[in-house]
Amino acid sequence: MTSIRSTRGWQRARFAAVSAAVATVLAGCAGGVGGSGDDASGDTLKFGLLAPFSGSESAFGEYMKNGAQMAVDEINADGGIDGKEIELVTEDDACDATTAVSAANKLVSQGIVASVGGYCSGATLPTLPIFLQAEVPMVIPAANSNALPESDQENVFLINGTGTQQAEAAVKFAQKEGATKVAVIDDSTDYSVDLADSFAEQASEAGLEIVEDATVTPKEKDYAAEANKIVGSGADFVYWTGYYQEGALINRQAKDAGYEGTFLVGDGSVDASFAEITGEGYTENVYGTFTQTPDMLEGAGDWIAEYKEKFGAEPGPYSTQSYDAVRVAAEAIKEAGTTDMAEVVDALHGLDGFETFAGPLTFTDQGTREQGGFAIVTIGDDGTFVLHDDLLDD
Amino acid sequence: MSQIILNGLFVGSFYALIALGYSMVYGIIKLLNFAHGDVYMIGAFVGFVTLTSFGGLTAAATVPTLILLILVAMIFTGLLGVGIERVAYRPLRTSPRLAVLITAVGMSFTLEYAVRQIFGPSPKAYPVRLSGGSLDLFGARVSTAQLALMGVAALLMVVLAFYVNKTREGRAMRAIALDPQASTLMGINVNGVIARVFFIGSALAGAAGVMAGAYYGSIDFLMGFVIGLKAFTAAVIGGIGNLYGAMLGGLTLGLLESFGSAWLGGEWRDVFSFACLILFLSFKPTGLLGARVVERM
Repeated sequence: MTSIRSTRGWQRARFAAVSAAVATVLAGCAGGVGGSGDDASGDTLKFGLLAPFSGSESAFGEYMKNGAQMAVDEINADGGIDGKEIELVTEDDACDATTAVSAANKLVSQGIVASVGGYCSGATLPTLPIFLQAEVPMVIPAANSNALPESDQENVFLINGTGTQQAEAAVKFAQKEGATKVAVIDDSTDYSVDLADSFAEQASEAGLEIVEDATVTPKEKDYAAEANKIVGSGADFVYWTGYYQEGALINRQAKDAGYEGTFLVGDGSVDASFAEITGEGYTENVYGTFTQTPDMLEGAGDWIAEYKEKFGAEPGPYSTQSYDAVRVAAEAIKEAGTTDMAEVVDALHGLDGFETFAGPLTFTDQGTREQGGFAIVTIGDDGTFVLHDDLLDD
Repeated sequence: MSQIILNGLFVGSFYALIALGYSMVYGIIKLLNFAHGDVYMIGAFVGFVTLTSFGGLTAAATVPTLILLILVAMIFTGLLGVGIERVAYRPLRTSPRLAVLITAVGMSFTLEYAVRQIFGPSPKAYPVRLSGGSLDLFGARVSTAQLALMGVAALLMVVLAFYVNKTREGRAMRAIALDPQASTLMGINVNGVIARVFFIGSALAGAAGVMAGAYYGSIDFLMGFVIGLKAFTAAVIGGIGNLYGAMLGGLTLGLLESFGSAWLGGEWRDVFSFACLILFLSFKPTGLLGARVVERM
């Protein structure tokens, strides 16, 4: 039992990790741009970034830090915010709630004016009240649990799309594909069920017929029963919201059972292992809903080249989102002309179509983005997922 | 309907192969070998390592490669089973039953996490895949790979039944199952026979591991846990200790699961099949064939 749970925890952490990165940037100087600057470095504005730099998610911490640093350097080269330079301060949250809380306190004590970090949702949630109490606005780059906007904290803004928005992208894609009968399958874990419910709701509203809404037990190998149900239901579009291991097996077994329609997977299944497990000859018509990574974005070539030159490594997932988080936070502070939280929050809500990698950004009242930033990816020749449709054209 | 039955029989033949090892070991030394599911997992990994270290094999014809892999894995897991018995179970043979049971659980975790340390926690994709056309059988869609695997499982079980019932060594096994002390007095090498039982049971699990890897395509260090529990269940349904009972129990559990998920949905499958198990055992605690056969082997 323990062993199973630990694996599932690992998978969940992966998801959570995806969602938590941006919050730290916004949290900086409570003193305000125009204020007296009571900390030692009176001429800099500190942006704090919480991310995992140790543990299983540590790769993402580096991607985020570098992305954020690029934005900081750019803004500083441009004269900073009203003549004040931004200084990026990072702390390790290890994707762990306890570590994250003490790391957040540490950032607050250093006088950050904005928090632009947050990767694991589970580690980001407990930092919310700390930043609120310190009056630090949060622009969260990666963490995207629905629990973050539902915290009803005025200082929380998400760069990454939420589950609801991912479902929206899936429905949009189903309509584009001309699907009429859709099946949705989840793996009975929280995230997956949320995404599936959200998809089912939005799909029926959009006039699609839900012919099958199934739940499978994860960690199994044989999903022939579900595969037959998909075929029997006459579905021409399947949305799988769980992780790649089961998703790849279901895709294969469904096709063995005679399914010929589209197989769309959620972001937990977008992984190079999907193609490996599902096997050669079964990757046709497989798509995924995913946040874009730099290599998928058009016109990001220069950005990637600069990143590589600076850090000697390729950018990864959430590099661009962290970059955008810093820019969004800086823009809001500039607009507000102060680092006072209430005014910066107003300025954040005032952003209208701010250019980001995932398209123009406008925040909703809840601090989520109006357009989700989810794109449709598909399996390329080398087995990794590549951009198929950024869904921005309509 | 025929599709549901076929799916059930397919999964059931895996359960049966693994249940045999559980049942034989229980029959002969009254031990629930909880590490048995992990031997299945090791079998899959042995196949994986063999394939990745001899890259040329993948390119060669699939069927001979697979048979070779099954043989390699059977020998390895068979020896592993003998080793486990020697190291973990034999020194405790006269200890209380509970101590041996806990040792078996410990052995299970040892195998799982040793593999995790070596291969990492992420699932591995199997380099050889069984694919092929599918054909229509009584209105059900079945792939040739599934038929082939069911054939291999059936063949292994027939050979085993012949071995236990018709050979001298088989008679020795049955004798020990009846009365170990008397068998010793009759000049049977009890330790040798027990080791042989572990070899055979573990080899069957190893074969099932390779077959599962090649058919489903992904293996991971925990793949033996659930299937080990299910195979144990199958052995109990059939009447633990009884050879034919294990085979029958495996197929029964496969069918129960298949009907459960067809009627109630995948999330209810385990609820359905295990509720049936509880009901069944409260009426017939000895299992399907448990009482009829006096020799528990």
